[in-house]
Amino acid sequence: MRMVVEQQPPRIVAISPDDGSAIDLRNPALAALLSWAVPGLGQIYQGRTTKGSLFMAAILATFVFGLWLGGGKVVYASWADDAPGGGRRPILKLLIQPFVCQAAAGIVSLPALVQSVQLSGPMKQPFVLGGGILPVGFMAPPLVPGQEISRVYADRLVRHDPDVAADDFFDSGPSKQFRRDQLANWHRRLGRFFEIGTLYTMLAGMLNLLVIYDAWAGPFGASEEEQRRRSNPPPPRSSGGRPS
Amino acid sequence: MIATTLVTTMAATAWFIDPLVATLAGRVPGILFGLPLVALASLIFAATHHEDPAAIRLAAVHWMVWLGGMLGMVLAAVLLLGWLQ
Repeated sequence: MRMVVEQQPPRIVAISPDDGSAIDLRNPALAALLSWAVPGLGQIYQGRTTKGSLFMAAILATFVFGLWLGGGKVVYASWADDAPGGGRRPILKLLIQPFVCQAAAGIVSLPALVQSVQLSGPMKQPFVLGGGILPVGFMAPPLVPGQEISRVYADRLVRHDPDVAADDFFDSGPSKQFRRDQLANWHRRLGRFFEIGTLYTMLAGMLNLLVIYDAWAGPFGASEEEQRRRSNPPPPRSSGGRPS
Repeated sequence: MIATTLVTTMAATAWFIDPLVATLAGRVPGILFGLPLVALASLIFAATHHEDPAAIRLAAVHWMVWLGGMLGMVLAAVLLLGWLQ
């Protein structure tokens, strides 16, 4: 009789450092990706709901709090010519900005990329203009002197941003050219809260890196040798004496 | 209904709660904004090193004491240097 044995794919497990029990990691790569997208979601996918909920609440709360402290201005991706590191290639300019750390917090930071791409594109305005519930230019990069933006965005800024006036723009054909440094305006208006908000959002992102690793490989706790020893305990020694 | 609730909550936050909390936050010394970050870092560090909730809580307190203690010593040293000058 012929028997067909279905080979189950090998389970990838980690060992809990607390009680030595096995933690089923399921698909570690997918769990890590989920934990990047939404902090803690990878752990929830693996069935570790308590830890996942804890990570989700703690990191998202920190990120949102930092964003609120900074008036919605501290999370942005900028590769404008006058950005720090001027003269370098855009990708290098991006790498030396806080956004590199903030992006590790997941999809909550991605609107900053969308806003920046739209602002530097042919439309010359962010995807979300803001001015109602969201601040004007929410998560959009600060305007630099000489930057051209659409008339619609310029009008929205004049109407809703107390630091921007109509004479801060030159008429430049179908668009308007900004004369001032918007980042300086933000620092002046927000004071210490700009740095504090940036710190909160950066730290939320950096701590999410630990969460991503936890989803991928399990708790840091036990070393590999300890894990091996726990999963393959040595056979018990016989206690009998010599035969007579 | 969820969208309506969300929009209403955001509008209420923007118009009423934001100015009140902003006024309160403006009176908090800057250094106190670091305490939640110490707590967060301790919690995340403990939770990524343990699996059992009780062990996580114990480790979080342990890390909070260490981090807070070390940062406190650095702050004391900076204040002392400032006072000596």
